[in-house]
Amino acid sequence: MKGFGHFPLILLSLVLFALLPFLPFGVWQAFLLDVGFFVLLFTALALSWDLVARTGQLSLAHGAFFGLGAYSAGLLAPQLGTLPALLLGALTAGAGALVLGSVTLRLHGLYFAIASLAFSEVLRTLALKLPFTGGPIGLPVPPPFAGAWPLATYYLSFGVLLLATALSLWAERSPFRLAQAATRQSEAVARVLGVRVVQVKLWSLLLGSLVAGLAGGVYGMKTLFLSPYDAFSLGRAVEALVIPIFGGLYTTLGPLVGGVVLVSLEQALRLWIKEGYLVVYGAILILVILFLPRGLVGILGRRRG
Amino acid sequence: MELLLQTLLNGILMSGIYALVATGLALSLGVVGIVNFAHGEFLMMGAFLSYLLFAFRGMDPLLSLGLAFLAAFVVGALTYQGLIRPVLRAAELNQMLLTFGLSILLQNLALLLFGADTRVVAPPYQATTLSLGPFFLGVVPFGAFLLSLAILLMLQVFLTRSRFGLAMRAVSQNRLAPGLLGIEADKVYLLAFGLAAALAGVAGVMLSVMLYASPTVGFVFTLKSFAIVALAGLGNLKGVVPAALVLAMAEALVSTYLPGGGGLVEAVFFLVLFLALVGRAWRKA
Repeated sequence: MKGFGHFPLILLSLVLFALLPFLPFGVWQAFLLDVGFFVLLFTALALSWDLVARTGQLSLAHGAFFGLGAYSAGLLAPQLGTLPALLLGALTAGAGALVLGSVTLRLHGLYFAIASLAFSEVLRTLALKLPFTGGPIGLPVPPPFAGAWPLATYYLSFGVLLLATALSLWAERSPFRLAQAATRQSEAVARVLGVRVVQVKLWSLLLGSLVAGLAGGVYGMKTLFLSPYDAFSLGRAVEALVIPIFGGLYTTLGPLVGGVVLVSLEQALRLWIKEGYLVVYGAILILVILFLPRGLVGILGRRRG
Repeated sequence: MELLLQTLLNGILMSGIYALVATGLALSLGVVGIVNFAHGEFLMMGAFLSYLLFAFRGMDPLLSLGLAFLAAFVVGALTYQGLIRPVLRAAELNQMLLTFGLSILLQNLALLLFGADTRVVAPPYQATTLSLGPFFLGVVPFGAFLLSLAILLMLQVFLTRSRFGLAMRAVSQNRLAPGLLGIEADKVYLLAFGLAAALAGVAGVMLSVMLYASPTVGFVFTLKSFAIVALAGLGNLKGVVPAALVLAMAEALVSTYLPGGGGLVEAVFFLVLFLALVGRAWRKA
């Protein structure tokens, strides 16, 4: 059964992440926890992107779902408290996904890719222009649980990753995987076999956007400040898709491995070159598509025979 | 009334460049069958080429036009040979990811090389205006409009009269039959992709004078061109010009009549795209 052989590895990496705050790293502790936070969050985002990609759809709107979740949670957190705000943030992102998906998912795949890209650009414009978002100045966000617990953001981020991993594993094991794969490989054949193609695509997008929105909400509570250029950045969508492609598409282990490698690399690169670190992501994307279409996990599988 | 007419006039002038860029995109989509997210980056390169030639050689952008056409054609052809050809038979998702990666790579490379500043090419005639009764025509937008129309007409002649043009249309209609008639699809793809890039490159030179050159200038045009192509129907070259006119007019009207419309102009293309897609989904269902 597919994905079963990877299960111990997945479990091991999750346990490592759960224990990270308690490992003795001395002066490096704070820095490593920061990097770990972003690794967890962006890996979750990457898994949520992969969930959509399994139906053959290229979502360039994950930056927008992330931003929608971040802004909704940030605006609601002072009134409602941390967890309800995060939940509503995820639901807002899901609502956006339903609007986008219901129009475009009936059409040929490229329309969805284009519309999703346009969707994220327009949401950024709206975040800049609408009266209640703070516009270009930005939006301050309170820390989770009024800052009572310093490790809260780390474990919230870990929670998002757990949810994303669980969803991904579920989609890999259940008959849903077959429906997704059939939709990806040939919509016409899938239809004939009785797969409700549009529904499968819409559900995948909805689940993906919920996780992305949740990740966005947690992100805002970590940075304590949101600006349209940061929250709705196209770079977020790029990260969300390069990580699974680098690690290995349509798997759960792939995004996990890709996330650990790439997000750590990115944190290092940001110290070195401030702007334009996305050059590396663009180059990786091209090289992997041309020479390594099955990603790192693909190499692993080949060695094992 | 005069304001309305002036607004519509501005819209018409802008539609020329839109049509030029979108025609290139429609060519790569219709003939090669590739969704090229990096199309706007060819435009960005044309704009920077024009800026560099102007800043360091003092070259008039009118002269840069020909150079940009050739340079963009070569870049487009090389892109086809090196990157597009290997994935022609791959899944559509992989093709789109590849061109998207190219777009990200080129944009951020430009960001590293030139910084995020906008750079304007300012030849002596840049701010000259003609007055036509109560209306004003900028010389540069007017010239760019005429030039775009001329190029589109030449393209039309090329596609309907020349052997290569006919081969291109044949390949866009059927992938298999032209091969049986002795048309080498690979050469046609190369030419079409190069031509698509060249059209964007020329438009980039015009934009470096009308607007500016910056790392992200091309990306907006990729999106707008997709909106135009979606409105025209995939691979429908004839529909591109009226669709470009619709988008340019809508943008001009929003920027004049909507309070605070200046920033919202950038959202108009989405409305056009959205309505085009809703119409298409509704017709299909």
